[in-house]
Parts: sequence; structure tokens; C-alpha cells
Amino acid sequence: MTFPWSRRRDRELDEELRAHLRMAVEERVARGERREDAELAARREFGNLGVVQEVTREMRGGGWLERLAQDVRYGVRTLRRSPAFTIVAGLTLALGIGATTAMFTVVHAVLLRPLPYPQADRLVRLAYGPQTSAFDFISAPAIADHQWVEYRRRQRLLARVGASKTLLTTLTGAGDPVQLPGAAVTAGFLETLGIRPTMGRAFSVDDETPGAPPVVLLGDALWRGRFGSNARIVGSDVVLDGIRHIVIGVLPAGFSYPSDAQLWEPLVVKASPNMSISWLLTVVGRLGDGVTPAQVTAELASIARAGPRRGGEAERDTLVARVVPLKDTIVKDATLSLLVFAGAVGLVLLISCANVANLLLMRATSRQREMAVRAALGAGRRRLMRQLVTESAILWLASGAIGAVLAVAGVRALLALAPPGRIPRQDEIGVDTTALAFALGVSLVTGVVFGLAPALRATRSPLRESLAASSRNLSTRDGGVRGVLVVAEVALALILLAGAGLMAQSFLRMRHVELGFRPAGLVTMTVDLPATTYRSATAMHAFNQAMLERLAHMPGATSAAAVNYSPLGTSLIRGDFQLEGGRKPPRDYVVAKLVVTPGYFPTMGIRLLAGREFAAGDAASAPGVVIVSKLVADRIWPGESAVGKRVSMRDRPGAGDWLTVIGVVDDVTQKRLDENREPAMYQPTLQTSQAFFLNHMSFVVRATGDPRSLIPAMRRALKEVDANQAISSIRTMDDTILETVAEPLFQARLIGAFSVFALLLAGIGIYGVIAYSVAERTHEIGIRVALGAGRGNVVRLVLWRILILVIPGLVIGVAGALAATRLLSTLLFAVKPNDPTTFAAVVLLLACVAFVAGLLPARRASRVDPLVALRVGG
Amino acid sequence: MAKEQRGLSRIELLQGTLDLIILQTLRWGPRHGYGLAQMIRANSREALQVDTGSLYPALHRLERSGAIAADWELSENRQRVRVYRLTPAGRKQLAAERSRWDQLSEAIAGILAPPAPEGEA
Repeated sequence: MTFPWSRRRDRELDEELRAHLRMAVEERVARGERREDAELAARREFGNLGVVQEVTREMRGGGWLERLAQDVRYGVRTLRRSPAFTIVAGLTLALGIGATTAMFTVVHAVLLRPLPYPQADRLVRLAYGPQTSAFDFISAPAIADHQWVEYRRRQRLLARVGASKTLLTTLTGAGDPVQLPGAAVTAGFLETLGIRPTMGRAFSVDDETPGAPPVVLLGDALWRGRFGSNARIVGSDVVLDGIRHIVIGVLPAGFSYPSDAQLWEPLVVKASPNMSISWLLTVVGRLGDGVTPAQVTAELASIARAGPRRGGEAERDTLVARVVPLKDTIVKDATLSLLVFAGAVGLVLLISCANVANLLLMRATSRQREMAVRAALGAGRRRLMRQLVTESAILWLASGAIGAVLAVAGVRALLALAPPGRIPRQDEIGVDTTALAFALGVSLVTGVVFGLAPALRATRSPLRESLAASSRNLSTRDGGVRGVLVVAEVALALILLAGAGLMAQSFLRMRHVELGFRPAGLVTMTVDLPATTYRSATAMHAFNQAMLERLAHMPGATSAAAVNYSPLGTSLIRGDFQLEGGRKPPRDYVVAKLVVTPGYFPTMGIRLLAGREFAAGDAASAPGVVIVSKLVADRIWPGESAVGKRVSMRDRPGAGDWLTVIGVVDDVTQKRLDENREPAMYQPTLQTSQAFFLNHMSFVVRATGDPRSLIPAMRRALKEVDANQAISSIRTMDDTILETVAEPLFQARLIGAFSVFALLLAGIGIYGVIAYSVAERTHEIGIRVALGAGRGNVVRLVLWRILILVIPGLVIGVAGALAATRLLSTLLFAVKPNDPTTFAAVVLLLACVAFVAGLLPARRASRVDPLVALRVGG
Repeated sequence: MAKEQRGLSRIELLQGTLDLIILQTLRWGPRHGYGLAQMIRANSREALQVDTGSLYPALHRLERSGAIAADWELSENRQRVRVYRLTPAGRKQLAAERSRWDQLSEAIAGILAPPAPEGEA
């Protein structure tokens, strides 16, 4: 960056001033003075040439660009002159900016998943929740269809409202049969969300009338993947669950609400309040202008009170109206996780800024003399400050640019660590510009504030003092500030490490949780039988039977069985039951209700604790039987044998509805590894006739060798039994477990990567300060050595300094971590947030890093040659 | 003695005053920096000795504001010198500053030599 015209002007000014000087000399000589005297006198009269030049140049003004260029040139030159400082400070900043931005971007994308709908903050979910128990909006969308019909007719406060329920649909005739998640939605549903088809039309009220021709809307991914982006798809037929549907449109890319739906059908709601089974609908509304969720809640409650009662049950007394922002129901626990990760990001950013501040302060000390000299030469305070700010800005700009590149790469790398399929619209995740701007801003402020220190000091302290004193005497003044920064760094790093350690511990314990069954060697294949082709329980029983015959006889399989919802699966049916003899089960006591085929318990490796397990004889015609898990037996029949007792699944059991407990089995982790094992009741499939207990079936096979090798044969078996039936999922139980721990593993990895980074930065910080203090005290050390101090003494001296810095850091860090990790408690599994082992390990680790970081300078100090040291210091 | 003079010239650094002196001096014809300094000294009967550190910044500032213009010329002893001359804008500025100076000195003179009080105090 050079400006020829400015160079020329500088040259001209120089020439002008020199001409002045020459003329003054000539005149004195002409008056008869000796040339030497004349020159001396003229020069004295003239003053300092450099100062005059500088002041004049300044006065010329307007050359801000020129001055900027000059400052930039000067800044680049000084930065190049101290490459160690430039590289370490630059890299720290770049890594700090890059890592924090990437981390925040990913965490934000994974956890917050901002809703891709226009004015999404006006969207709410509506439900009636039970009054008594804690209500989980995510797994319990709860407006029954008759309530919906009533609500839609009467409500006045919502601008739009729509209902939906999820479906699983088998698509045939477009490649292999495939099972797709879908949704049935009312005409207003898509409008409520603000979604319009990219092609074709949305549903109208006509589509909802019974007997209307079946129609479907396709998701963008399905349209591209299965129909080759056919531009003329609208109006053509697709076969869903064996029924022809007319495609009326395609919805925009990225839209998949609710529950990852890929296709949408009209929801036909019948308004009969006396239906025995009522669909539970997900109801979404858009608030009208000026309407608050509280008002909608009140309206929903009043409509429930006025509405018809169902089946004699006093529904209105037990249900409470709930209205919550849609976002809160989609993002579970995100606020907490986001807080934790944002905290981690903030800590690392703080540490890198502390490091850079430290480096700048050290540099400031070593530049004291330079600044004093420049001030003496007439550079004004503003000029010096401008120059240092320019220098900081150059460093910051370069680091910011590298940091932005690192952020982009970091986002890619972190997403590669993420569990596959968990992050929606992964391709669209770009670097979060707000986070980048924030990181850049914080680092800029640090750079400017600490970069200015030398200018402030140089212009504040009396000139002569600065020039006269050696750097050794001056630098001690901000040794304190640097020490505080290192203490802060150690403390911050410790907080992060403690968090990471706890997450890692939690993850390890989750991996080794007692499941209640033996996962090794198991494969599960899940199928969902469409109601259109499997109309009766008998058809489903026949299907199960045909499948099990083939699966049990595959080479390499020891046994096979079926269960409607296998452990660690996506869903589960839970419910209550009645006891014989008028005794009531505990209030709100629900158990997992499962149906299984004989041989399920030995195949899974679930221990039978009492009684017998199901046999082929427990068929539809035989007396009703049930097997309970240990938790049920202990809770309901404490101190006595459960076997022989009778229960019923019906609310008002008749004489034939009683089931005899024939056995007690071990409890099983039914859903998530981090949830407790839960009470369960098992019934034989053959004694079950309700379709929704039978249409989702998982076949479990125990293999002698690698369970993976059975998968092709299992696929063939299904094809033989029903070629039109799609597989919902097929995988080994070990893979299922891996998937359920994927999210905690991802979180543990993220925070782990982060804390390693923090540790590294803290190490650099400690090294820098110790190395500097050694260099600073070379003189003193030289004297000590000259007076007979041994190497050991010198090393001890340096290590003592490390202890002084590290111990307060550790103490403050432990206190901070104890406070901070309490936030983590809900994210942790089987680990207390103040786990002493983790804390001890983390403290030890940090102490080791500090020790290693200080060892290098300590060794250097011990090799100080007293002669050299004394000369340098004097 | 020299010290006092230096102190005096420091006072003259008051902006405006130096500008007035430079502009007024340039009325007699174009001058280079050294010549100007000499002339100011001579015209003030050696009372004002303008620092180069004040003179050149002032010259360059005035040049930038358009009150004076500069050209390179060859001096008597054939060396390149930068010669400053008054521009029309500079003439106007001079007139304005002059009247301001007259007002100021009149006011100060009035303060220093108050007229005899009229009537009884």
C-alpha cells in the first residue's frame, strides 16, 4: 500500500526544509561566522527536522487516507518484526473466532431449529391435558376429534386453525414398496402454518367430505426422490396402502410437519361423540392480531365446559386447556442445552480474548521504550493511539478472515460428528452471521482496549522517566493484570473441563446401563401393516405366523419372536388396568402394554422371575393370560406372589375380561437409555384383537453369529409372505442402541472438543506469562546464579510463580464449576453435577498442563548465564 | 535574552495571529519559508522569531485552505525553493483578519488605558 503522490510530497517537504536550513547557514557564513559554528547555530535555531516534518505533515490534514496508509505500512512492518507474537496472537484470535462461531452455528441449528414458517411466533399448539400428572406436549397431542369439531365451530380468537394426525403409509408402484411417514391434515392446516404448494393446489373443505376422491400432497424430497421431479405429477395417480390417490400438489422443500411427514392426505373428522376410539389430533392455530395465548386458553377451556360429555365420563373435570407456542413443543429442552453450549462457547471466547489481551500487554511492556521515543520525537498521543489501533485492527482483520474460513470448515466438521438424520435441512446450515459478528466484535474490543495500553502509558508517564528507566523496572506494573488474566483463564478452562468430564461420564454410564435384555446378537425388523390390506386381527395373526415360521428356520438364527413395540423403539402404548376384587390400582399408575408371541422372553434374553412364559396354547380360545414385569408385581402385590392374581385392561370388565397373571419377568428399558426401566404388562398376540395393538409389529431374531448377516434373509422372508409390504426398519439391536446414544454422544463430543481447545489456550496463556516473567527476571536470576544459586533453586523459583498463578485459578474454577454444572443436572445421566471423581481428575489435568507449560521457561531460566544476564539487565 | 524571544514566539503560535502575520508579509510579494521568517523578524524589529516548527505547519495549512499558493522556483544561488504567494482568497482573509485584529487591539487598548471617569464616582 503505497501512495506515490504522498511519497512525493514527503520528499518535497524534506527538500523545502533542507533548503531553509541551507539558506540560514549561508546567511550566517556571509555574515562572517565560521561554517561549523553557522551550521550548529542554524540547526539549533531550526529545531528538530523530523519533528518539524511530522508536525507539518500532520497540519497538512485531509490526508487521512494517506495517514491511514502510513499507519498500515507501519503496523504491518511492526507485526512482521515480531512474528512469534503475531502468529500466536493471530492464531488464538482466529481459532477463537472460528471455533466459537462454528460451535454456536451448529448448536443453534441442532437445538433451536427455528421454525421455517412465516411469523412463526404467532403459531400455537392447543390441547387438553390431564389435570393431575405432568403434561408432556411433545409426546401427547391431545384434542379428541369430537372436541376438535366443537372447537373449530365455536372458536373466534384464532385467525386460522388446523388439525393433523400422523400416519404411516406404504407407497407401492414407485420402485420398491416403501413405508413413509405422512400426515392427515384438515383444510386449514397448511394455511395456518403459512405453507403453500409449489405446484398444484392445497386441500379444500371438499376434500374432507366422506366419499370424496382420495387425494394426496407430496413432499418435495419424495417428489424428487421417487418421482424424478416429474413436472407433470399433478393429476396423476399414486398407490398408497393399496388405494389410488390423485396427486393434487407438491409442498415446498424443507417442509415436513408434523413428525417428518413426506406426504399429506385430507383429514376426515367425524363428529360423533360416542365413537369408541377417538383420534387424538395435533391442533395448530395462528393467533389473530392482538390475541394472547392466555385468551385462547380461556376460550378453549370454556368450549370444553360447554361441550358434550363423552361416554358418561366427566371429561370436563379432568382436563385442562393448554395453549403453548408451537416452537416450545418442537424444541424439547433446547433452551437448557442451548444455554449450556452458549455458555461453553462464551467461555472459550473469553479465554481466547484473555490470551490475546495477555499477549498485547506483554508486548506493550516491551514496546514502552519505542513509544517513549516516538512521543519524544513529537508524535502526539492521538497519533500513537491511532497507530496502535491500526496495528490491532490489522491483526484483528487478518485473524477475523482466517477465523471466518475456520468457522465454515468447523461447521462442516462438527456436522460430520452429528448423528445422521437428526439435523433437519443440514445442507442449508450456513455460518451463523450473528455469532460471527459477535465473536468478531468481542475480539475487536479486546484488541483495541489492550492494544491501546502502550500508547496510554507512554503518553501518560513523564517522558524522561520512561526513557531513563529500563524496561525491567516498568514492566512489573502490569504483571498484576497479566496474572489476573491467567488466573481467569485457568478458572474458565476448569469450568469447561468439568462440564465436559461430567458429560463424558454420563455418556459412559448410559452406554453401560442395565437394559433388562441381552442386545448382542439381536436383529429387529419392523413392519406396519396397512389397514386397507390387513382388515382383521386374523389376517394380522396369520401374517405374524407366516413370518415367524420363516425367520425361526433361517440358517444362523436360534430363535425368533414378535412384539408390537420393541425396546428402544420410537413409540409405546401405555395405559392403566383394573384389579380383581374391587381394589383400585394407584392413581395415575400406567404401565407399558405390549403384545408378544411365545418365545419372546428367551429370544430377547429377558429373565423369567416367577411362573411360566407364554406358550402356543395361550390362544384366542384359551383363558386370558398376562405376564407382568417385576416393578408391577412389587408395586401392586408387595410381599405376595403375583402369579395367579387377575387383572383386566377394560375400564368396566365383564366376566370374560379377566386375565390371569401367569408369570413375572425382569423390567426392560422400553424407550430411552436415560429413562428408568418402566413397569410393563405383556399379553399374547393371539389373545389380542384390537388393530392398533397389532398393526405395528417388530420381529426379533437371535443370531448365533453376526446378526447383520441375517438381514438379507429376513428381507427375503418378508417378500415371500407379502411382496407389497414395506419394511419400516431393519437393524441390529446394537445399532439401535448406538442411535439412541447418538445425541448424548454428539453433545459429549462437542463439549469435549471445546474443552480440549480451552485447555490448549490456557496452556498457551500460562506459558506466555511464565516465559515473559522469566525473561523479565533474567537480571535477577543472573544475580542469584552468580551468588551461587543452583539450577534446582532457579527452577523452583519459576515453578513457585506458576503455583501462585494456578492455585487461585483452580480454586475459583472449582467454585465456578460447582455453580455452573448445576445447570447440567438435567442433561446428565446417573452422574451428580458435583461428582468428586470428575472434579479431581479435571483439577489434576489442568495442574499438569500448567506444570508442563511452565517447565519450558523454567528450564530456560536454569540455564541463564549470569554474565550475559547481568549485562542485559543493566 | 534568546530564551525570552523563544518564549515570545511561542505565544505568537496562537492561531490566527501567525496566519495574519504570514498573510500580511506575503502582501509585499512571494517569499520562500526562510525569507518569510527573516522578513517577519526584520519587520518586527527582531521581536518576533517564528519557529520553523510553527511556520511550516502554518504555511501548509494556509496552502491547503487556499489562502496562499506555492510553486517551486530557483533561488538567487540556483537552488530549488518553494515560494509562497497570496491568492485572491488570501487577500480577502487578510482583510477580514486585519479588521478583527484592529478591533481586538482597540478593545485591549481601551482596557489598558481607560478614559477618565465622567462625573462623580
